[in-house]
Amino acid sequence: MSTFSRLEVGLLIFLIIVVVLPFGLILVIAEESPYHQVFGEPVKEAAQATGITITSVKDTTWNLPGAIGGKTYVLTDNAGEVVTVYTQSFDSAQSREAAIRLYNAQPVGRGKPVGSLVVLGQHLVYVTPANSNILKNLAPELIKKISS
Amino acid sequence: MSEEQTSQSNGIPSKKVLGLFALAMINVAAVLSIRNFPSMAVYGWSCIGWYILGAVMFLIPISLAGAELATGWPQGGGVYAWVKQAFGEKGGFTALFCEWSNNLVWFPTVLSFIASTLAFALTPALANSPFYMFSVMMIAFWGTTAIAYFGEEASTKFGNVGVILGSIIPAILIILLGVWWMGSGQAIVLPPLTLAAMVPTINVTTLPFFATIVLLFAGMEMAGFHALETRNPQKDFPRAMALSAVIIVVCTVLATLAIAMVIPANQLNLASGVMQAIEYFFKAAGVPWLVGPMAVLITLGGVVSLAAWLIGPAKGLGIVAEEGNMPPLFDRTNKYGAPVAVLVIQALIGSVISLLYVFLPSVNQAYWILSAMTVELLCIVYVLVFASVIKLRYSQPNTPRPFKIPGGMIGIWLVGGLGMFGTIFAFIVGLMPPSYFTTSGFVYVGSVLLGTFLLAVPPLVFLKFKKSSWCKPAGGVR
Repeated sequence: MSTFSRLEVGLLIFLIIVVVLPFGLILVIAEESPYHQVFGEPVKEAAQATGITITSVKDTTWNLPGAIGGKTYVLTDNAGEVVTVYTQSFDSAQSREAAIRLYNAQPVGRGKPVGSLVVLGQHLVYVTPANSNILKNLAPELIKKISS
Repeated sequence: MSEEQTSQSNGIPSKKVLGLFALAMINVAAVLSIRNFPSMAVYGWSCIGWYILGAVMFLIPISLAGAELATGWPQGGGVYAWVKQAFGEKGGFTALFCEWSNNLVWFPTVLSFIASTLAFALTPALANSPFYMFSVMMIAFWGTTAIAYFGEEASTKFGNVGVILGSIIPAILIILLGVWWMGSGQAIVLPPLTLAAMVPTINVTTLPFFATIVLLFAGMEMAGFHALETRNPQKDFPRAMALSAVIIVVCTVLATLAIAMVIPANQLNLASGVMQAIEYFFKAAGVPWLVGPMAVLITLGGVVSLAAWLIGPAKGLGIVAEEGNMPPLFDRTNKYGAPVAVLVIQALIGSVISLLYVFLPSVNQAYWILSAMTVELLCIVYVLVFASVIKLRYSQPNTPRPFKIPGGMIGIWLVGGLGMFGTIFAFIVGLMPPSYFTTSGFVYVGSVLLGTFLLAVPPLVFLKFKKSSWCKPAGGVR
């Protein structure tokens, strides 16, 4: 039966720590988005507060367990940029977490998922494209909703 | 020794079981994914332009570079063997380790996809249960590891059958339904095809997507890890690269267009899932009963993709350990020639990360940062591979290469340079935080770079502490 030297065991522990460390670090740095009730229509209110025009609104319910309805907004700003924002409320923290997992499980190739998913209490807000000026302007207003 | 066997340095015979078809299927398993189709279908006709960009900036360069490197240096270890020839052990080990460690971040996402797709076939509400998710994820992960345990022959059989059933058949089915849709006079939701419609919009808002497209075909180097088990690497690698590239491109482009023609872009809400898009597609085509079987097949496709990425880099690390660059603890090979120690360590770490992924609440922002790290790690691998294929033309010009990138030095610089440009571009854009991020840009970039550094640096530590006793003498006994 073979035995392992201290160096071998030390390097194994080093490997495990170094590989797991980034996960721990990032989980600590990234802000939590606890499940709680956010009232009203956060995207509509944020758009109104920032002077972004809502060109159309439609009711939608995502085909996901626990999804209880939301809206699809088409937004445009003064520069002519157009983004589509989908919102959806979930009936429980578990169903919302499952939807977040599903989104993260669908990257394109080995990259990142398409669009951005913002977690806002019981709502998920999905915006595409991910890096738009409209989302940049909406974000501070949406963050206020999280903290309020 | 029989012609069908070769002896590894540890004395355990490795069967030469892989031919052209099996090699091609390894690449197809690693790259072809139904998950990409709805994401790309959103872009309508311009998905053609995006695919062309992905092919020109990455797929063609990596296929050509992989073919030249695999035929010139068919020693096993894939990217490790290739980069080592150009930049020494540090470079080779770093490239391989980046490929292996980026998998650890990716595993939970593909496992989660497998579990939620299977739930869709059974009872979709199951996906809301973290216990269901974790159980299925672990069965898939350890089951795939168990298949890898039984060596190349078992993995190859599983991979060949799995990729046909789980990736190629679903893609062909989607294409055929698209053809039927057009032929039966149903309304096509796309506008008429024009050249302008195929041109993708490239601006600041689409840059992250552009960077994603560059790595859409990542994994084309996967067959290179299996060189030791390949019957005729010099002949089979280039042909396998070509065959897999054709299968991947044809299936991907046509299936994406089929979905884009049937489902309106506003219905392709990507946050609500690939299976939901597939369900919409099959219901529209009048075959809703096919949704359940498709979910099962796509689950299998996910498992086969997992297997391809799980086995390849682990085999590479096994070779690194066998060469004495890691302690003997990592160099445990079973009677089937599988690197059991690496497989078990990988499965244990992957299980811990999956546990965090499923049970820690609100990991959305955290996971975005982690997936950014996987992009950066993969970019490091590919930059090193492209740099190697260029450097080796200068440092080892006389090494026989049964396949050579055509065009002499201009050709090698064009192909290698294009690939390097694409991956460096993806690396830089990968550092851009999404606009909604509440974490400051400095913290975001710092986290991604620090995480990438931590996941790339262990090879340098291992080589620093390397002992001569870690190397096996001839005969394989330490």
